[in-house]
Amino acid sequence: MKHPVERERGKKYVGLPEFARISEEVLSELGIEQKRGTVSLVPDERTIRYYLAEGLIQPADEKQGTASVFSYKHLLQLVAVKKLQAEHLPIRKIRELVTGKDEQQLESLLGVAASGRKGTDDKEAKRYLESLLAPSMSFGGIQSAPQETAPLSSAAEAPRRDSSVSWQRVEIEPGLELHIRSDYKPPVAAARTKGLTERIRTAISRYWRERQ
Amino acid sequence: MTQQYPKIEFFTTREKLLAGREQTVDVLIRITPPDLDLENTKRTPLNLSIVLDRSGSMAGDKMVRAREAAMYCVDQMLPTDRLSVVVFDDRIDTLFPSEPVANKKSMKDLISRIDARGSTALHEAWVRGGLTISDLLLERGINRVLLITDGQANVGITSTDEIVTQSLALFQRGISTSTIGIGADFNEDLLLPMAQSGGGNAWHVVEPQDMQRIFQVELDGLVAQFAHTVSLSLIPSDGIRIADVLNDFELTETGRYRLPNLQAGSSLDIVVQLKMGAQALGSTVRLLDLRMGFTPQDQKAADVVKSAFSVEFVDSNDDLAVNPEVVKAVQFLMNARARREAMDRIDQGDFAAARVLIGQSIAATQVACAPFASMDEVIEECAALEEVAQSLDDRNQDRMSRKKLAYGAYSRRTGKIS
Repeated sequence: MKHPVERERGKKYVGLPEFARISEEVLSELGIEQKRGTVSLVPDERTIRYYLAEGLIQPADEKQGTASVFSYKHLLQLVAVKKLQAEHLPIRKIRELVTGKDEQQLESLLGVAASGRKGTDDKEAKRYLESLLAPSMSFGGIQSAPQETAPLSSAAEAPRRDSSVSWQRVEIEPGLELHIRSDYKPPVAAARTKGLTERIRTAISRYWRERQ
Repeated sequence: MTQQYPKIEFFTTREKLLAGREQTVDVLIRITPPDLDLENTKRTPLNLSIVLDRSGSMAGDKMVRAREAAMYCVDQMLPTDRLSVVVFDDRIDTLFPSEPVANKKSMKDLISRIDARGSTALHEAWVRGGLTISDLLLERGINRVLLITDGQANVGITSTDEIVTQSLALFQRGISTSTIGIGADFNEDLLLPMAQSGGGNAWHVVEPQDMQRIFQVELDGLVAQFAHTVSLSLIPSDGIRIADVLNDFELTETGRYRLPNLQAGSSLDIVVQLKMGAQALGSTVRLLDLRMGFTPQDQKAADVVKSAFSVEFVDSNDDLAVNPEVVKAVQFLMNARARREAMDRIDQGDFAAARVLIGQSIAATQVACAPFASMDEVIEECAALEEVAQSLDDRNQDRMSRKKLAYGAYSRRTGKIS
C-alpha cells in the first residue's frame, strides 16, 4: 500500500496552477476532509499564496521565466499542513511541526516513512545501535585528565595532523551528526556535561539563524 | 488477504443521556482487534534477542528460574524464528548469535551454563542484544529485545532519560524492547518507560517462579500482536469538550494519543469524559469523532480506522440498566491514578498518605462496583489493591510496594494483563 505522495518523489512543478493541481490530486486520494467550513479543502492558488506568506510553505528555490518552480518538498509541506489542519491543529502548532523539516521528516509526519524507509534502508537500526556503542566504548580508555575542549566551531579549523587519531561520525538524529576524534574523552563531571550540552545547543541555533 | 480492522465500540453508563441539562459524561471506548485466525494465518515470525542479567545479585533461585524461562522460550519457538542470547554483568558476552531455532538442544545447553557474577552493564548489553538481531530485520515479523534484570544500570550509560530516548529511537528503526524486572531491587523508573517507549511490554516478576508464566504471556503476546504504532485522535463536536482522558496516554509529536500495541484477543478500554451543554429532548447528537492510526503487523504501511459516537437525549433514563463495563473501566482507571499518586507520596517519604490513598481506592471500588462485586475483574482489582495496602503497612517492603503500584497502574492504563 503506497502513500499517494510517494510517486511524486523528485518531481518539479512549474507555476502555481500546476502545483495546486497536483496537490489537489494527492489530497483527494488521501481522503483528507474538512469537518468544519472554516478551511478550504482544495488548496487553490490563493490558499497556497497565503501559506507561502505565513511561512508554512517555503518560497520556491528557482524560477522559469516568471513562474516559480516547486519541488517534492513543497508538496510534502502543503500536504502536511492540510493533513494537520484536518486534525484540527492550530496554525501555530502546525508551523512548529512543518517548518525546518527535511523531506524524510515530512514523509514520516505523513506516515510514508514506515514503508519507504524500511524498504530502502533496513540497516538503519544496526547503524543506530553501532553509533550508541561507539561513545560508550571510549569511556574505557586509559587517558589522563580530560583535555580542555576547543569550542565546536574551531575544531575543524585546527585539525591535528596526527596519524594515530581518527574521526568518527555519530548520528544524533536524522540531519545531525557529531564528529568525534578518537582521543576525545567525554567529561565526567555533571557540570561539564551540562556546559557541553549548552554549547551544542548554541551552535545549532546559531547555525539555524545564519541559514534563515 | 484483506485487511481486518479493529472493532470500535462506544458505551455510556446508561444507554441514553438526559436532555436539558449541562453534564459531564463518561464514555467508554472499547477497541477490540480481530481474533487471530489460527487456521488461515501463518504465525508472525519472531526475531528475538534475550538479554539476560547474570550479575552477582541474580545468584541462586533467580538465576535458576531465568535459565528455565529462557529454555522454555527456546522450546516454544519455531525453526522459522530466530533467537540470540546475550548475557551481561560488567562484561557482555554473546552466548550465541542470532540463528534459526533449529538445534534446540545445543541452545539450551549453552543457556544452562549461565552463572551469576559481577555488576550490571545494562545499557551496553541491551545495545549488543539489539545488534545481534539487526542484521536480518524481519519486515513483517517482530524484532524484539527482551531484557531481563534484577538490578540497576551501574556500568556504562546509566541515565534513564538517555536510555529511554534511545529505546524509542530503536523502535522507530524497527526493533522493539520488552523488559522483565525481577524482585525489589531493579529500577522501575527505567524499565517501565524503556518498554513503553520501546514499543514492547514491561513485566514485574515478584517471585522467581513467576518468570516462566511471564515468558509465556510475552511470547503469546508476540505471536498475537495485531498492530503497532497505534495513535488516536478524538474530535468532539462543536459545543462539546474533552474534559479528561482517564488513561493518561502520552501524546505523539502531532498531538495524538499514543496507544499501546494492539493484541488479538484482548481489547483496550479508554475512558473519555465529555463536558457538554444542555441538549434538546428527543434529539440524537453526534458527540465525538474518532480516528485511529495503526500499522498492522503483517503490513508495512500505516492504516486508519474511523468511527463516530452518537447518543439519544431523553427526559428520564432511570429505568435504563447501568452498564457494568463502563463503571468498572472508570473505577479501575481512577485506581491507576491513585496508584501513581501513591508512588509520588512514597517518593516524598510520606508512606502514611500513600496508604490512605490506596485505602480510599479500595473503598471507592467496593462502593462503585457493589452491584457486580462478584465479577472476576472486580475481585482481582480489590485483591491487588489489598496486597499493595498490606505491603505498604510493612516498612521492609517499601521498594516492592512502589513496584507493585507502578506496574499495577501501567497494566490498567494500557490494558496489559500480568
